[in-house]
Amino acid sequence: MIKTRWFMLPVLVVVLALLAPTGIATGQAVKNPDTYVAVSFGDWDTFDYAWAYDTSSFEVIFNVYEPLIFFDGGRMDRFAPMLATAVPSVQNGLLSPDGKTYTFPIRQGVKFHDGSPLTAEDAAYSLQRFLLTDRDGGPSSLLSEWILGITSTRDDKGNLALKFGDLQRAVQVKGNNVVVTLKEPFGGFLSIMAQWSYVVSKKWAIKNGDWPGTAATMAKYNNPKKESTAFFEKANGTGPFKLETWDRAGRQVILVRNDNYWRAPTRLKRVVIRSVEEVATRILMLKAGDADSIALTRRELPQIEGDPNIKIIDDIPTGTSTNPAWFFTFDIDCRGNPDCGSGRLDGNGIPPNFFSDVNVRRGFAYSFDFNTFLQDGYRGKATLAKGMIPLGMFGYNPKQEYFTFDRARATAAFREAFGGQVWERGFKLTVLYNAGNVVRELGSRILKDTIESLNPKFKVDIRGVTWSTYLAAMDASRLPVFWIGWLADYPDPHNFAFHFFHSDGTFPHSQKFKNAEVDALVSIAAREPDVKKRQQLYFQINQKYFELVPSVATVNAIGFRNQRTWVHGWYYNPIYPGTYWYTVFKG
Amino acid sequence: MTVFIARRLLLLPLVGIGVTILIFGLLQLLSPVQRASLYVTDPRQLLAVDQVIRTHGLDKPLYIQYVQWLWNVVRGDLGWSETAKMTVARAIRTFFPATLELTLYAFLPIVVLGIWLGTISAVHRDRIIDHFSRLFAIGGQSMPTFVWGLLLLMVFYGAWRLFPPGRLSLDASLYVLSPQFRAYTHLLTVDALLNRQFWIFLDALRHLVLPVVTLSLVSAATLVRVTRSSMLETLRQDYVRTARAKGLEEPRVINKHARKNAMIPVVTLSTLLFVGLLNGVLITETIFGYPGIGRWGGNAALQLDAAAVAGFALLNAGLLVIGNLTADVLYAWIDPRIRLG
Repeated sequence: MIKTRWFMLPVLVVVLALLAPTGIATGQAVKNPDTYVAVSFGDWDTFDYAWAYDTSSFEVIFNVYEPLIFFDGGRMDRFAPMLATAVPSVQNGLLSPDGKTYTFPIRQGVKFHDGSPLTAEDAAYSLQRFLLTDRDGGPSSLLSEWILGITSTRDDKGNLALKFGDLQRAVQVKGNNVVVTLKEPFGGFLSIMAQWSYVVSKKWAIKNGDWPGTAATMAKYNNPKKESTAFFEKANGTGPFKLETWDRAGRQVILVRNDNYWRAPTRLKRVVIRSVEEVATRILMLKAGDADSIALTRRELPQIEGDPNIKIIDDIPTGTSTNPAWFFTFDIDCRGNPDCGSGRLDGNGIPPNFFSDVNVRRGFAYSFDFNTFLQDGYRGKATLAKGMIPLGMFGYNPKQEYFTFDRARATAAFREAFGGQVWERGFKLTVLYNAGNVVRELGSRILKDTIESLNPKFKVDIRGVTWSTYLAAMDASRLPVFWIGWLADYPDPHNFAFHFFHSDGTFPHSQKFKNAEVDALVSIAAREPDVKKRQQLYFQINQKYFELVPSVATVNAIGFRNQRTWVHGWYYNPIYPGTYWYTVFKG
Repeated sequence: MTVFIARRLLLLPLVGIGVTILIFGLLQLLSPVQRASLYVTDPRQLLAVDQVIRTHGLDKPLYIQYVQWLWNVVRGDLGWSETAKMTVARAIRTFFPATLELTLYAFLPIVVLGIWLGTISAVHRDRIIDHFSRLFAIGGQSMPTFVWGLLLLMVFYGAWRLFPPGRLSLDASLYVLSPQFRAYTHLLTVDALLNRQFWIFLDALRHLVLPVVTLSLVSAATLVRVTRSSMLETLRQDYVRTARAKGLEEPRVINKHARKNAMIPVVTLSTLLFVGLLNGVLITETIFGYPGIGRWGGNAALQLDAAAVAGFALLNAGLLVIGNLTADVLYAWIDPRIRLG
């Protein structure tokens, strides 16, 4: 008996210890007051500022690195100096009267996370590396289009066409200044620089095996494989946070405060971004205070409404994003790709060029029940999209024709497709979405149900794929039909026209969509100085987009954010890829 | 007994070859491009996929391909997992310890509860304890794992904040990732004790409670039913009647004579349950955000990550073979007729 008691004692201690630190005891006191925990469901693609082109990765990047100039608080149309000490303008003499030469005086006394000082050489190297990297479908064209006058650094055969001399001439170091000379003036250039002029340490990059800044090595570092760059999983920026860990096993990224930050250090000591796929678990974490904000769609919003500890900031205008849209790949890589089925038009698959026929694309577009999607996916808090340019942005045409759910038209289009073979033989394919995104999953189901109801020979599978794998498969043109959204890189319709429609844009590149007439139109519209004419050109582009149907924009949603009531300092800027934690604190 | 074990061990390589042939055969259903990921250890190699196909003879006769693949498997080169963004071997090393830890903690309550409830249920047939035990078994088996998981999570975490999801809380997680903490076994509770960090041990234990309870409810229910029916059958045997007629006390009849002989199907099932848990419990790990091998394997299958799925299948097969061997040895120990036969 005595032995039994002694045996039970440690068990009792452990049980009591397990039960002791409960949430009931702690009540609603601020949990982890100096650590912000954001819980999402996706993962991260890369932390290379010149490679990443997704919001998940960029949420980390723009808290770790800093651009030369930045947006002024919540404003998209005003800029503040960041690593440059002034925003170039004709008035301050830092922008030439012809609008082509920008001078950025580099801030003194700024240190990288490794303690090395920031120099003009670093800033110039960072811009040159950004232009050179130019991975397929990546962000480099944002700057190269204006600085170098090209939207791709490679020729039609894929060989590097960029000359070292051009790079050196375009981005120069003059004393403590970086001087950027554009091929032609562009009014939105500062907007692009505010988001895409991140500065890295040249010495650190070279030491870690990245581009040494020489002509001879350019080809090696052009269009690199994601994992091969020095910046893939490591970072050395000047930003308010340092990248401490990318814990791939634990699916979390940890940022720590940069105590040697050139501005006042942030009040948060640490930011932890966790990935939890199960939405119910994320909601419970938010309610328990183990998460300060979570990724959520409007479908799940009722589950947190009314909780006194959770603040919902609703009715956020999202005039800078077209989300979601679905895209067709015109030349699918069907090699060993089960999403194409048999790879032939035999009723059990689709051929690689299945979506090259506009009737197939129209058939899909008319098969989608947009209103059900709007009601069920967004609880009515959205408007139907009229083309790729979002509501609220210059170039949006309220009178633009758009697709509606129309079974008769869908049937007619499918009957026309491939000379009637599609209707006669049927097809089988997969519609893909990023796993965890329940709204896109719902959209895929709606599409599947309607298309399959048109003809028993039509078979549509749906499949969710983890974010980073999804992006890789999209880049490799392996997704027949895929859902994705676009958040503007800068508030201008060109950013949408280019990436939805121009052959060098992110999506058309993956889709293998190319139309010379469209490319020319997009280019002309971007350069048109007359506002009225420019608007008409975007109307024309949107009409063309409707006729050619390379993708289908579904809704312009109204945004919302959730956070614990103890979170303060967050502000909204429609252009930000995520939370800018510098101003955020808990208390 | 030794001869019996030796004989079984000698059979292992043959079973292993059979398993690898089976997995290799299934892999042939994939295209050479998909199979190429089995042969790379760095995703950059996939840029030149045609070269990978040539180098590894993926266009050569099947037996040559099999030998090449087997050689890679023996060396631990299982290819690159796009899902985990690391080699398959590293992914297994990364995710398996979490599942092993969960299994080790879940298995004891499953077996104890299953055998105990099954036994008393059979002994007290049609009495209240039997009804309760059958209710438990039906409840455990008929409710899907995700329902149990979410229910427990909502009550014990959502309402009472007792047992959180994940593997560690924030502070513990940061400490474990720091250089101060040394991972000896990658089993957090064990490593925490070895590092003399009792608070991390408790934290890890708190995170294990709900997944363990969920698994116990579901798996023990099966064991209760099997134990009960096996015990009922055994209790009807002549030798049990003889034991009682000899005047042996009832606990001795039950524990010494009946239960031991009723254990053969229970051992089989327990072994399968153990192996099943080790293979990863996708739903439980997903609901509780537990970074185990089941979640990785499930994700890999959804992403059509051929190398990961093949590696996962090999691991499962290996565990199953070892599990079966263990079951055979236990049979022989329980029932001498098996080792003598």
